[in-house]
Amino acid sequence: MKFGIAYEISVPRPWTRESEKTVYDRCLEQVRLADQLGFDFIWAVEHHFLEEYSHCSSPELFLSACAMITQRIRLGFGIVVCVPEYSSPIRIAERTATLDILSGGRLEVGTGRSATWTELGGFHANPDETKKTWDEFVHCIPKMWTQERYSYQGVTWSMPQRTILPKPYQKPHPPLWVAVTSPGTEIDAAERGLGSLGLTFGTVEEQEEKLKRYRRIIRDCEPVGDFINEQVATINFLYCHEDNSEGVATGRCITDRFVPLATQFVHNPEAIPTRSGASQGLLATLRRQASAPGAAPPGIAIGKSRTNHSRVEEMGSDGRRLRQLCSQRTGGCAPAAGAREPSSVRTRSDASF
Amino acid sequence: MPPRYGKLAVSEWGKSAPMINGYRTEPWKLSGARLMEFRYEIDDDPADTLLPPALHPAMPAYASFAVMDFPDSPVGGFRVGEVRVVGRAGGRPAAFVVGSFCDSKAASRELSARWGSPAIPAEVELMARHFDIVARVSTNGRSLLELELRNRRPLPSLHLQPLPCMNLARNREDNRLMLVQVDFEAVFAQSDSGSERVVRLDRNAFRGAENLRLMSPMSAAFATADVTLARIQLICDPERPAESGATHLD
Repeated sequence: MKFGIAYEISVPRPWTRESEKTVYDRCLEQVRLADQLGFDFIWAVEHHFLEEYSHCSSPELFLSACAMITQRIRLGFGIVVCVPEYSSPIRIAERTATLDILSGGRLEVGTGRSATWTELGGFHANPDETKKTWDEFVHCIPKMWTQERYSYQGVTWSMPQRTILPKPYQKPHPPLWVAVTSPGTEIDAAERGLGSLGLTFGTVEEQEEKLKRYRRIIRDCEPVGDFINEQVATINFLYCHEDNSEGVATGRCITDRFVPLATQFVHNPEAIPTRSGASQGLLATLRRQASAPGAAPPGIAIGKSRTNHSRVEEMGSDGRRLRQLCSQRTGGCAPAAGAREPSSVRTRSDASF
Repeated sequence: MPPRYGKLAVSEWGKSAPMINGYRTEPWKLSGARLMEFRYEIDDDPADTLLPPALHPAMPAYASFAVMDFPDSPVGGFRVGEVRVVGRAGGRPAAFVVGSFCDSKAASRELSARWGSPAIPAEVELMARHFDIVARVSTNGRSLLELELRNRRPLPSLHLQPLPCMNLARNREDNRLMLVQVDFEAVFAQSDSGSERVVRLDRNAFRGAENLRLMSPMSAAFATADVTLARIQLICDPERPAESGATHLD
């Protein structure tokens, strides 16, 4: 099992001139520390217009800064939105290759299509088209990375023959992933030989079902790239405290702040009758689990270290191939009196694993 | 806690709130209903003043325009045209009804007494044609709302997502103003989408005044369905966040 940190880069109100700079500075400081402590990777999201929840609209720039201050940690662009109104696939291939060079071959490329009208509507993109555009993009991007000259005549985009530069440092190319939130996307991932980047919270049993389907289908996949990326990632909150009730209370505070922020945004099916985004992704699970009274809900790793250790072990039941991601909230809740700052607590919990 | 809440002046708004006869309403089954709904982005900040403090705004803020024809009900056929501003009750979408009109006095009276609907009498029309659908709300020949769904095309019904509505009503039993959630269950028979055009909106008539500013269209849908107006399951103190001010009824 490998461990990482996922960055939404949340900036709670009230905003001042310094708010975003402070948060970005802290994130960079955490990344530097994570690299020194032996975390395996970080992921930075691409979100647009999501007030407070995520101010990370240009993750490739953030990750470039991370590349400059770290030595070994892998850098996940997660995910780049594969919708033409956001970015041409040419620009995605160029930007990711550049980042791979700058990081000395440490890039992981997550792909996806965005789940909210807040974002897609902001770019005048049609949610019903995004699955198609994503599919074309993920078939094209590896070829842009590996072929000297490239041309394409497709359904959602086309280009005449050109040489797309630079080429990635990793050979044949960086590992490709897809964000798995809607039901069935794990099948899309498996059929294309892509890593499954799970961005929903859920119980071990729920995740296990998806994992089984993924493992069964990927055996017969037709990879879009030059190799199969058979890795699975899952995400979780993590907050540890020696006193379980303190740990649960502060962890709950983190999740309880996250939920209302996330639920303000308009998900695709709410805005427009669409077959896109049948799932509300992490939100439904969070509503059900994180807000319920009582002990820490199953699938959420908050509380004392030993409890969290078991939860993470459960998540890792697939053995060496399952990764565990720890969601990072910046500027959320102050730790309970007497607790360590979140970064140091996280450090300690990692050491205990 | 979420950073933004509605800023509606509840006591002022509530002066004309309908009186509801307690919360023990029996469901109404309304078969063969025809429903047209537009969702439309509205100007964010002023929209906060059209949501009670119990709700927090959606991002982006949007309104739902609905015109519904119910040919069969316990008080006979009736049509309703209304405008709602969509917010969040806790984490869930909830559409606050800012203005509503009904073409049947009997239905209007019953909807108010049973579900706290603010519907007042007016003429309401819904004309479904092969290429387009037109809906109108008017009073004494003055047009208050006119909607056009153009280029209608079939839509799988499972993709429709009805929104629960919130009516601000005064309870006859204790004289308290409460938000009453109206859950709308529908079994769709057929549905269409299309492009939307708000031809006419009298913002004052729908109590939106200058704060209901249309910005950008989202979607338009038309459906036929068997509808159930469910019994009331949730009420909420309009002045307190729904997270703490909501009461679930048995």
